[in-house]
Amino acid sequence: MVGPLLKGLRVTFGHLFKPAITVKYPYEKRPVAERYRGRHVLKLDEDGREKCCACGLCEAVCPAGAITLYGAEDPEFKRSDVGKIAEVYEIDYSRCIFCGYCVDACPRGAIIMTTDYELTVPGPGRGHLYKDKNWLFEKRGGE
Amino acid sequence: MIVAIIVVAVKLLILFAVLMLFVAYGTLAERKVSGHIQDRLGPYHCGPHGLLQPLADGLKLFFKEDIVAAESDKILYYLAPMIAIVPAILAIGVIPFGESITLFGRKIDLVVTDINVALLYLLAVSSFSVYAIVFGGWSSNSKYPLLGGLRSAAQFISYELILGLSIMGVIMVVGSFSLVDIVHYQKSMWMVVYQPLAFIIYMIAATAELNRLPFDLPEAESELVGGYHTEYSSMKFAMFFLGEYANMTVTSAVAVCLFLGGWYSPVSFLSWIPGPIWFVVKLVAVFFFLLWLRWTYPRFRYDQLMVFSWKYLLPLALVNILATGGVMILFGGI
Repeated sequence: MVGPLLKGLRVTFGHLFKPAITVKYPYEKRPVAERYRGRHVLKLDEDGREKCCACGLCEAVCPAGAITLYGAEDPEFKRSDVGKIAEVYEIDYSRCIFCGYCVDACPRGAIIMTTDYELTVPGPGRGHLYKDKNWLFEKRGGE
Repeated sequence: MIVAIIVVAVKLLILFAVLMLFVAYGTLAERKVSGHIQDRLGPYHCGPHGLLQPLADGLKLFFKEDIVAAESDKILYYLAPMIAIVPAILAIGVIPFGESITLFGRKIDLVVTDINVALLYLLAVSSFSVYAIVFGGWSSNSKYPLLGGLRSAAQFISYELILGLSIMGVIMVVGSFSLVDIVHYQKSMWMVVYQPLAFIIYMIAATAELNRLPFDLPEAESELVGGYHTEYSSMKFAMFFLGEYANMTVTSAVAVCLFLGGWYSPVSFLSWIPGPIWFVVKLVAVFFFLLWLRWTYPRFRYDQLMVFSWKYLLPLALVNILATGGVMILFGGI
């Protein structure tokens, strides 16, 4: 009866001196996989024009229905090389399941996913999780 | 006369400060030890390695909303957290922590008062802490605290008895109830060598008295929410916590005095280190052992707890007393 009790004490004492497997999160982050599916980014081409041509494939394929997209024409080819841009491009991060289908579906590579997983938002309510086009274009971190 | 009063007041102040320090850093030690045993880091944010965490905890608890349960028995509800801390503070008065020293021509005993029934006093005072738990459980007017309080009452009665019986062996060997006499007796050899069984029984009974795992049935989180302090918040909750860790400190101190040679150094070539430091070192060791136990063993079931107490520990304690008495008669004292 006493043997197993002592064995238990030995096990826990051993663990006291093992290095912790947790990390000090805000200061120290775990490395993420190269192909980690995190926050989306809408790409620009070399001339700074939007790659997205508002074909709507990402919206159609999205299993969670998180993407809202309205197209618009761009006759002067200022903002797009095909004359068509997404007027509205919104991702509802309270619905997004980060499956990456939108990235697979996009024929022009206009939407990609980054390794950024820090998507917490302030305040009550989920409105903050509704991200518009500006936010999706925004450059954050080292991209 | 006045000087004597001042000396006692200073001693009390120092002891109280040390006790509160132990309480504050006891909570931190608990979290650190539990963290490292579970391969985590524990508190790390406040100060280097989380050393200021107790301060942050205290401030947080101070600013929390003080909720009083609506249908509670108000007087007992307020009284319970106050009682929780009392036994520990009363008990520090009789714990010796060093040899007498001479300061400015006065001989000062490093104990607040060396009464000749110190151990009886300790047992009597430590029984007080059950009132805090039972009052807390009853006055909250809520089913989980009540169950916790009831369990606690039964557990206290069972283990108080065993605690008392385990100490009997030591008293028989030394022939005195005074803690100072008991420590003096251990100058050459620790009592744990003469009374190993009593030491083990004492530690088990003390853990049960402190309501700590594996005997934390009065506040078993998984079945009783928070047990007797479910309905308490803010500083009232903090008082219960204060009481728990203060009781732990005092129980460890008593264990050091009774079994681990008090302020005497374990080996003669280290005897140049002052007694109080040895005392604190041993106290920390026993305190750590209590933490270590908590994060190793799962909780007893209620019937197991009672069976363990009455069917195993009680006979063992009695056997220990009989064996001690037998040896003393046969060999004329140990």
